[in-house]
This record gives sequence, C-alpha cells and structure tokens, in this order.
Amino acid sequence: MNCLQWVVASGLLMCCCTSKDMKFQQYFAQGQNLYETHCSNCHQKNGQGLGRLYPPLAGSDYLKNNFEASICLMKYGTSGEISVKGIQFNKPMPGVPSLTELELAEILTYITNAWGEEHEMITLEQTSQALKNCTPP
Amino acid sequence: MKKYMKEMKLFWNDHQVAGYRLPISYCLLLAVPFLFFSCSLKKEKLPILGQREMNGNDTVYHTVAPFRFVDQDSAIVTNATFNNKIYVTDFFFTSCRTICPVMKSQMLRVYEATKNMPDVLLLSHTIDPEYDTVALLHDFADRLGVESKRWHFVTGAKDSIYKIAQTSYFAVAMEDKTEPDGFIHSGAFMLIDKHGRIRGKYDGTKEEEVNRLIGDIKILRQE
Repeated sequence: MNCLQWVVASGLLMCCCTSKDMKFQQYFAQGQNLYETHCSNCHQKNGQGLGRLYPPLAGSDYLKNNFEASICLMKYGTSGEISVKGIQFNKPMPGVPSLTELELAEILTYITNAWGEEHEMITLEQTSQALKNCTPP
Repeated sequence: MKKYMKEMKLFWNDHQVAGYRLPISYCLLLAVPFLFFSCSLKKEKLPILGQREMNGNDTVYHTVAPFRFVDQDSAIVTNATFNNKIYVTDFFFTSCRTICPVMKSQMLRVYEATKNMPDVLLLSHTIDPEYDTVALLHDFADRLGVESKRWHFVTGAKDSIYKIAQTSYFAVAMEDKTEPDGFIHSGAFMLIDKHGRIRGKYDGTKEEEVNRLIGDIKILRQE
C-alpha cells in the first residue's frame, strides 16, 4: 500500500466513525435541550430527582428494566407507585404528548449517557417500536 | 468613599500649607490600609422594602397583614407563628411542573443552609388550595423530607392567599386558564424580618439569587 492509499483509507475510516459520532452528538445535544425544556424542572438538571417526590433518572434501574414502558410514559404520562433505586415514588407524572419518536430517542440518548454512564444511542426504530405497543391512558 | 475623599483632601491641604507635596505613591500606600479599615467598620444593612409613611417623627414601614392559614400538620399558622422569627416565603402548587419544582429544590437549599438557625423558618403557600389539601401538602412535605416545624406548607381560602400574595408580599399569584398549569405566579422568595417587614426579594428559580438570599439571612440575623 502506498502512502496515498493509506491516506484515503484512514480518511474513509475517520469519516465513517465521525458520521456515527456526529449522529450521536446530534441526538445527545438535541436531547439535552429537550430534557431541559420538558424534564429537568422535576428530575433536576443532574438527573438526581428530588427527595421522594421526583425519581432520579441517573442510574435508574426502573428505566433499565422498563425501557419500553418508560418511552410510553414520557409521551402519555403515568400514575401509581413505582420503585426506583429502592425508593417508592407515587406522584402522577404528566406526559408530553407533543414529543415525537425522534425527540424521544434524543432525550433517551441524553438521559442514558449524560451522567457518567455510557450506552449506545437510542434509535428512532426503538422508540417507534415502543410507541406501537403503548396503551395510552 | 466620599467621606474618605474628603479626608484625603483635608490631609492634602494640610500638607500643602505645611509647604511640601506628597508623592502620589505615598498617598496610595496610605490609602490601602485606610480603605480596608473603613470597609471593616461599615456594617451591612438590608433595605426595608415597600411603602413607608411618616407618623410624626417615626417612619412606619410596610408590614405583612394579619393572616391565618392551615399547614401540613393541620396546625393553624398565623403571624404569631413567626413572632420573633425571620422567615422566607413563596407561592407554589404541588401539581405544577414549570417553575415550582425548581423553586422547591432551591428552597431546600435554604432549608439546609438554615438548619442550625432556630430563628429562621420557611413558609410556602399553595395557590391551588382546592387540589392541595392538608393531606396532599403533608405527603408533599414528607416526600421532600422536611420537618413541619421549620417549613410550613399552608393552604386556606383562595382569596386570602391571593390577596396576601399581592398586597403583603408583592408577589404575583392568580388563576389563569390560558397558562399550561392553570395559574400564573412569580417564582420569588421574600425575606421577612422579625417585625414582619420585607427585607429582600429574590428569584427562587436562580441559584445565584438564592445564594444572595442565604447571605442576606446571615446579615439580617446580626440586627
């Protein structure tokens, strides 16, 4: 392989990586904006929640174990008791019905990566699949 | 500073009379410890807000009007509850998802910062008394993890809550069906002294403003 080929190959590689990274960054940045508009008032900017009023999202086992249901409740809201990181919460959460599949994917990409944890980005396919199975209250 | 300038001028004049000029650097050298001295002497005092009237030679300041509400423990809360106490007050409602949760997380900071100050209390009024019953406020305070002795969440007749907000605390609180949550209200925190006078108003949604409030509480306690 001559020098030129190396340059082209590494260029292609970088291009490929950055385009995936770019998409992640886009989702993450947009997700942060949406999070701060719709979620952070209660769940707080650092995702820690508030007392036993608003559950934490950072490191939330509930989110991990009820991933599809969480997508539904972001859009349609929820009520009743849930347990998050060993604490019982029981305040109704209003949904944000205007959120699109893309916006939900962006917010979830932000939530699952913002506070020290690293996950794959959440895709449009995942959120649209989840929304199909929702039972809007 | 003005006083200091005047003193400097006198000092200067004296020395001119004496017939020699001081180099500027010498003046500056003198000025530094002098400034520190004058600052440390000056005691900070918070302003008294609201209208004031003259009664003979006495100034009569605006004070909080008589009120009577019920808190999360069903206890009656009146002006007498805050007799000889400094308190911080605000207006909110539990089902609010806009500025109230931010206000509550900031008020929680005030609660933590005043933990060892037995003369400082907190008073949060609901502006949605129909929904925010005593039981609901009790649950709210409990979930927030705060003591009812130090932080009263009160409810009462809607009109009296709106009236006291507007006329006593200069806060905005009213119903407005066009708003997403059905109410408009300010996110202000008001600082009230031991005589029921308003000594400060702060944006309860902003961390820096709440830092200023926490600082002002310490100043007010020195009075």
